[in-house]
Amino acid sequence: MRDSAIILTRLTRMFGDIPAVTNLSVEIAAGEIFGLLGHNGAGKTTTVNMLTTLLSPTSGDAQVGGKSITADAAAVRGLIGYLPENVQFYDNLTLVENLRFFGRLSGIRRPDARIADVLRFLDFTGHEDQRVGTFSKGMRQRVGIAQAILHSPAVLFLDEPTSGLDPEGVRTLRETIVRLNRELGLTVFMNTHLLSEVARTCTSIGILNQGRLVHHDTVAGTLAAYPEEQSLEEIFFQLEQAGTP
Amino acid sequence: MNAFWTSARHEVLSITRARIAQLLLVVFVGMVSASAVIGWITTRTVTAVYEGILAAGLTTAANPFTDVAPLYYARNSAIYVVLIGCLMAIVLGAQATLRDRKQGTSALVLTRPLTLRARLLGQLTGMGLVLAAVLLVSTLISWVSIAVITAVPLSGNLTARLLGFAGASWLLLMVFAIIGMISGLFARRESTAFLAPFVVWSGIAFVLPQLGTAARPVALLNPVPANPVTGDSFTALSALTGPFAITEQFKTTASVLLQNDLVAGSAVTGVLALAIFLIAGVIAITLVPRRKIRSALHE
Repeated sequence: MRDSAIILTRLTRMFGDIPAVTNLSVEIAAGEIFGLLGHNGAGKTTTVNMLTTLLSPTSGDAQVGGKSITADAAAVRGLIGYLPENVQFYDNLTLVENLRFFGRLSGIRRPDARIADVLRFLDFTGHEDQRVGTFSKGMRQRVGIAQAILHSPAVLFLDEPTSGLDPEGVRTLRETIVRLNRELGLTVFMNTHLLSEVARTCTSIGILNQGRLVHHDTVAGTLAAYPEEQSLEEIFFQLEQAGTP
Repeated sequence: MNAFWTSARHEVLSITRARIAQLLLVVFVGMVSASAVIGWITTRTVTAVYEGILAAGLTTAANPFTDVAPLYYARNSAIYVVLIGCLMAIVLGAQATLRDRKQGTSALVLTRPLTLRARLLGQLTGMGLVLAAVLLVSTLISWVSIAVITAVPLSGNLTARLLGFAGASWLLLMVFAIIGMISGLFARRESTAFLAPFVVWSGIAFVLPQLGTAARPVALLNPVPANPVTGDSFTALSALTGPFAITEQFKTTASVLLQNDLVAGSAVTGVLALAIFLIAGVIAITLVPRRKIRSALHE
């Protein structure tokens, strides 16, 4: 059995009196592509923000790569790569200048060789000296992936990675995520509300409804457990409805 | 390269790419250069008039510029530092901390293994390096122009005084850069992040000195400190506000360093006061909570 890359233990986050995430407990094995599904406001981004140490949990804990997000946040940051929704960069710096900065912040002393490797891996060469401010949404997303994997993290967090991309961009990104998982062995934690993406990309899924986890299984297991349903979409709506208090 | 030096290097790069920062740096160096040209033209014009009057036998007095100390020609730079330099430092400081909040890059920065202290102090150091470079360029311009006007290269002692003036200017600018940085971290709107430190600056440069000196507002635009009024409540007010009127402290230091015999005082006192404010500012930056770099702007 594979080791767990991410373990959430009764993870809870309140905003004032409003619970955003309640008692979330999940274990994700190393090497998985985990898709966290849910409607807008279900608590997906709050969960990722806690796991990437951007937000402190109100109670509970999580371990990423064996390190606690509450007790050892600095160590967690050294193990993760993160692509936020609508990723932004320093627009008046070039692609390489942006990547150099984030690479050095991640502890890479001489990042240029690594940047060249990553851009080749992502098939994104030829734009190194172009200012990021001139990039399209799809190009920015690839820069986002590049900065997230530059320091060879163990776990990659993607928050709505296909948001705002055209169909071609979505397909390219999906292929990239699968390659990152298969060729580099990265564990991927992905937030999305696109069920078609989850079916094609993820190995396991979790469904979040009003901050509570209502389902967690492999994609194959989920489809097998609901043989009467035609698609993951129908299963999602059924599970979500069942989980609504 | 650690987070501190990475941030410092990134700040230098960002400042050199930002239009408003480029414009302010050019204006500052331009004003110092203009000051040198004005000094040269004044000397030439007055000397030409004097020689005409002397030839006509209308005077026996000496040329008024004969006994002028060479650093006299750099004195106006002090007011450019207080007026343009401080505003430039505020803009650089506010821009530095607003950048991540405005561009949305703070999430990428904060998920890196770094401390906010290293990040902010690195940014401050980057700004410090840029400001030091600008002040060195303006010092070089002053040195060359004084040497041209007086037709004699400046001695080691005078060069050291000019460099001391640049050092005191750097301390003052760094204090205002920190005020700008803190405003950029705490302000809810971008416009407030720039306006709030301008209000603080005008309070320090104009309101505080007036409370202790009853000086006319225009007098505060002079490169020399306003004379304190003694007696009544002014003595107490002056004692109370004086230490916080750091632009006046700077003017005193500048006047002493630039050989203005009309100003009494010690350059060390002003430098110490500026250094204390700088250290207090650096400590304040290290206490900024991590969430501040991520707080959204309401615009």
